[in-house]
Amino acid sequence: MNFKEILELIDKVADRGIGVVEIEQAGLKLRIDGKSAPQPQVIHSYAGAQPAPHVPVAPPPPPPPTAAEKAATVKAEEDAAEAGLHIITSPIVGTFYRSANPESDPFVNVGDRISKGQVLCIIEAMKLMNEIESDVNGVISRIYPQNGQPIEYGERLFAVTLS
Amino acid sequence: MPTISKVLIANRGEIALRVILACKEMGLKTVAVHSEADRDALHVRYADDDVCIGPAASRQSYLNVSSIIAAAEITGADAIHPGYGFLAENAHFAEIAGECRLTFIGPTPESIRLMGNKAVARDTAKKAGVPILPGSDGPVRTFEEARDVAETIGYPVILKASAGGGGRGMRICGDESGLQSAFDTARNEAERAFGSADVYLEKYLEHPRHIEIQIFGDTQGRIVHLGERDCSIQRRHQKLIEESPSPALTPELRQAMGDAAIKLCQSVNYVNAGTIEFLFQDGEFYFMEMNTRIQVEHPVTEEVTGIDLVKEQIRVASGLPLSVPKGDFRLRGHAMEFRINAEDPVTFAPNPGKIREFHIPGGPGVRVDTAAYRDYVIPPHYDSLIAKLILRGKDRAEVLARARRALEQFIIEGVKTSIPLDRAIVNNERFIRGDFSTRFMEEFEWGGLSS
Repeated sequence: MNFKEILELIDKVADRGIGVVEIEQAGLKLRIDGKSAPQPQVIHSYAGAQPAPHVPVAPPPPPPPTAAEKAATVKAEEDAAEAGLHIITSPIVGTFYRSANPESDPFVNVGDRISKGQVLCIIEAMKLMNEIESDVNGVISRIYPQNGQPIEYGERLFAVTLS
Repeated sequence: MPTISKVLIANRGEIALRVILACKEMGLKTVAVHSEADRDALHVRYADDDVCIGPAASRQSYLNVSSIIAAAEITGADAIHPGYGFLAENAHFAEIAGECRLTFIGPTPESIRLMGNKAVARDTAKKAGVPILPGSDGPVRTFEEARDVAETIGYPVILKASAGGGGRGMRICGDESGLQSAFDTARNEAERAFGSADVYLEKYLEHPRHIEIQIFGDTQGRIVHLGERDCSIQRRHQKLIEESPSPALTPELRQAMGDAAIKLCQSVNYVNAGTIEFLFQDGEFYFMEMNTRIQVEHPVTEEVTGIDLVKEQIRVASGLPLSVPKGDFRLRGHAMEFRINAEDPVTFAPNPGKIREFHIPGGPGVRVDTAAYRDYVIPPHYDSLIAKLILRGKDRAEVLARARRALEQFIIEGVKTSIPLDRAIVNNERFIRGDFSTRFMEEFEWGGLSS
């Protein structure tokens, strides 16, 4: 996909009022978010491609963005859409689980009313199950990670509409 | 035998990058861990995986054992390299890693514990027949007791708080009357500062050199030494310049110190890289302490031995024998390292901030280990080391000439660095002659930034 085609795609997305378009091809990941106005935001990364150094003795320019950086950019984008929501982030590193064990129901689902101190999920670290509690009262409006996904310190877990 | 395929580096800065480079050359995958303040750090960018492990404060990130182990678990790492500083000499961390089936790239928790305790290490050295500074065995409780010890070992002597450190509770005594007046003061100071009035007595060296021996042991029980590093150029116990070989050692002394270091390590079945620090004065050497990790100044040894110490650490940790050839050991040429710190070269106050210009010297015999780059913002939370300039040459004279031109070529703008100080030191007569002790910086006078 060349630059012109990307621009055309952005126009189409804007014209038709489409929310979000994500395209993944070899070496290219493109995400167009039509809702986060005023400006449509484009994030694209070329895996493996590395620009040539501009000064021979200087350290090579940074390699392509890592997963964390991509996530950070996406996060920044989402900030706009989710302004006004309370975000609960992970206080520890580990693996995210939505329920106490594979057979039981999730602690919470989107739309659930939650209160301060209520257990929202478990993060497993060093074979220990750490219960993560809500620090607010409100309604769960979004759950960011998938069940079983690795979680970094400070990563978003839940968005809560405060009540 | 543990196989290592993915290494988590529990560190930051130049040493994290150094380990990543070694792993890349060995075909191993890497995991960087970082604090929130280090998102833009180079080690994060060059690793295959990266995990944010906590906020800026070291205690909650780079010293956070459970976060680091969890990061290894979620990324599928099977080994941990601790670098230097942070958790490198934390026996508990090495132990937990082992319990979690992660290969700790370093010595055993037992070795770390044993040699990390100064009194135990001194005792172990004494038992192994390694020379230690003459002094009292344990605390001296009365002046008479102290006087008897001082007469046996000879003046000057130094009184040190048993529970102490950092220079407090220390008194140097040139003769008996000096000892008499200092004894009660030292005990009172020790009591107030450390809650214990116990003091011990040691021979005081007035112009010692700091000379350390690099040692390496493998799981087959082979232990070798890789020559010395002279680290006498230091300021308040912070090393500034290191070199190998030491201008003060003869081949005979080198062998004697190397043999002593090996003997000590054999007595504790030491595995992996370690350093035995000695004080050296008037042809005599005395065991000071052991560091159970890779050192900041390890490149100096790499340049004169041709051995990649970090790769060797990984080799040995995976159960392979040392790749160091058996037979006669000798150092080739000369090497010197300058620690480039982001600090005021006159006051030594740290100077974090944004690096506006960063130009690294190159050419024959020049190596720069760094994780800094142009537009990098040095965070204020960690140490001020931003680069290590390492020079290699056929002899010390060539290395000095190379150091002068490389220091001229090394341009860092935006933050103050120790480069102007290094430029002055390499033109100092006594430094050029190799005639210095650990007191060098106390006596060194220079014109500041104008030089």
